[in-house]
Amino acid sequence: MAGFRLIDVAKPFLPILPEVESPLERVPFDEKMVYTIFTALIYLFAEFPLTGISKDFQTATVNDPIYFLRGVFAASPKTLLEFGIFPIISSALLLQLLAGLKIIKVNFKIQKDRELFQTLTKLFAVSQYFILTNIFIFSGYYGANLSILQIALLNFQLCGAGLFITLLTEVVDKGFGFASGIMILNTAAVATNFIADTFGVSQIKIDAAGHTEAQGSLMNLIQSFRNKDTTILGGIIASFTRDYLPNFTTTVVVVLFAAIVCYLQSVRLELPVRSTRTRGVNNVYPIRLLNIGALALLFSYIVLFYVHIFSFILIQIVANNNQESIICKILGHYDNVNNLLAVPTFPLSLLTPPRSFFGGMVSQPLTFVVYTSFVVFTSICFASQWQNISGSSARDLAAEFKDQGITLTGRREQNIAKELDKIVPVASNTGAAMLALLAVTGELLGLKGKAAGIVIGIAGGFSLLELITLDYQQSGGQSALSSVLGAPNAGM
Amino acid sequence: MANEKTDNQIEKLMDVPLEFVKDGNQFLTKCKKPDWKEYSKIVRAVGIGFLAVGVIGYAIKLIHIPIRYVIV
Repeated sequence: MAGFRLIDVAKPFLPILPEVESPLERVPFDEKMVYTIFTALIYLFAEFPLTGISKDFQTATVNDPIYFLRGVFAASPKTLLEFGIFPIISSALLLQLLAGLKIIKVNFKIQKDRELFQTLTKLFAVSQYFILTNIFIFSGYYGANLSILQIALLNFQLCGAGLFITLLTEVVDKGFGFASGIMILNTAAVATNFIADTFGVSQIKIDAAGHTEAQGSLMNLIQSFRNKDTTILGGIIASFTRDYLPNFTTTVVVVLFAAIVCYLQSVRLELPVRSTRTRGVNNVYPIRLLNIGALALLFSYIVLFYVHIFSFILIQIVANNNQESIICKILGHYDNVNNLLAVPTFPLSLLTPPRSFFGGMVSQPLTFVVYTSFVVFTSICFASQWQNISGSSARDLAAEFKDQGITLTGRREQNIAKELDKIVPVASNTGAAMLALLAVTGELLGLKGKAAGIVIGIAGGFSLLELITLDYQQSGGQSALSSVLGAPNAGM
Repeated sequence: MANEKTDNQIEKLMDVPLEFVKDGNQFLTKCKKPDWKEYSKIVRAVGIGFLAVGVIGYAIKLIHIPIRYVIV
């Protein structure tokens, strides 16, 4: 098999898989804005319930094993977006990492290779949708004893939606919109969930007697003032502590986290630079603490997702969640909570954040250590590799300096790369570690994926805003949209 | 001899996270932090954008409720 390259696997699929054509000329600012917004809206609108699920799934014994990862990947259970954008993110990130580490041999200078790599990424994403769908079907998640027709129908829906979302992100990635497609979808989904959890007005049945409570925590707090069933004080306390729906404590913590991420985003080291072409022109070049954004945290969650899916296969499909079987004795089994969540027991629980802080303290104290170190460690590992291969390494920066005709003040030009090498990796590693710690803190407080979600969402929103502002300035402020909206971003 | 070697290795292993924290701290102290004016500007811009997107998204979710009644 000499000369075999993994990207050649994609060759036969090149003519089959649909592809988005790159725009022929630069897309104007307003159009980009419209593409960006509508991509997000279409994604949010695609949240249709699945058809073909057994009608008796209320009493199903198999529950959601990845409930705490859904917030990160914009997934919502039992809808077309069952797996959200996980397959797209993971295939894009993993394949780029492998290509960067030279495990997959791709020559990005050759047009043909680039095309093949792109198709491979897409192929990997779609096949992950297919595999995940069938894992969930055969585990009995959609109900036991599904007919062939139901299986086919579920496959068709979930894989079709997967392919559709893959193409949707590609539209943005090819230059029709801002930043990357996954970032937009993620930010929009996180923002929507936040609003729904805070201001959501839909009334949800909470007990068999038919009592309802508002989904949003703030709405619930307001309602508790005029609730006839409980005392006012009891209602207020309940709205801070309820665990079946978002409570107000969660909202406060999430807002706090968003503020911290905003702060960290603007922490940077300002290197004094001077122009090599003109004398006496001094400036600063900022190196961000979060120069790789939330990608490292995202990577940690991808690893977590794989760990949990593989153990789900072993425990649910192979061992049928039977506590007597040898696999369950080694890996733990799933406990059903609220008839909604499948919560793993020890030792798999070590990699599952607790559902509440105090409950977790008592029942699974080891999780606090293992989960934290796992996420922080994978984040740092990823960051140290990624900054090397993503075009923001010290070497790349030095080349960029040379192109722009600037140099560090008080350093010789030959030493720039060495000097930057002392700074850039430290910055990305520290940034990744801090974001990971932040997200883990929130998870351990019992936010069930909302903490990591908001960290990634805000980081994404921040870079999105920055890119939009940059593009707006480059287009010379010629935008019909901004004159209508009163240029809300002009202040940035 | 061998024991000494493993001791050394363990010491080295212990040094890695310590070194990491030290480097990180050094970097953070050298960093420029945003002042209040800059920070409030950023929070306002990100906050308004985030809330606006969220409200539109939630409006779409509300449209879904009658649709679910129709198709289920």
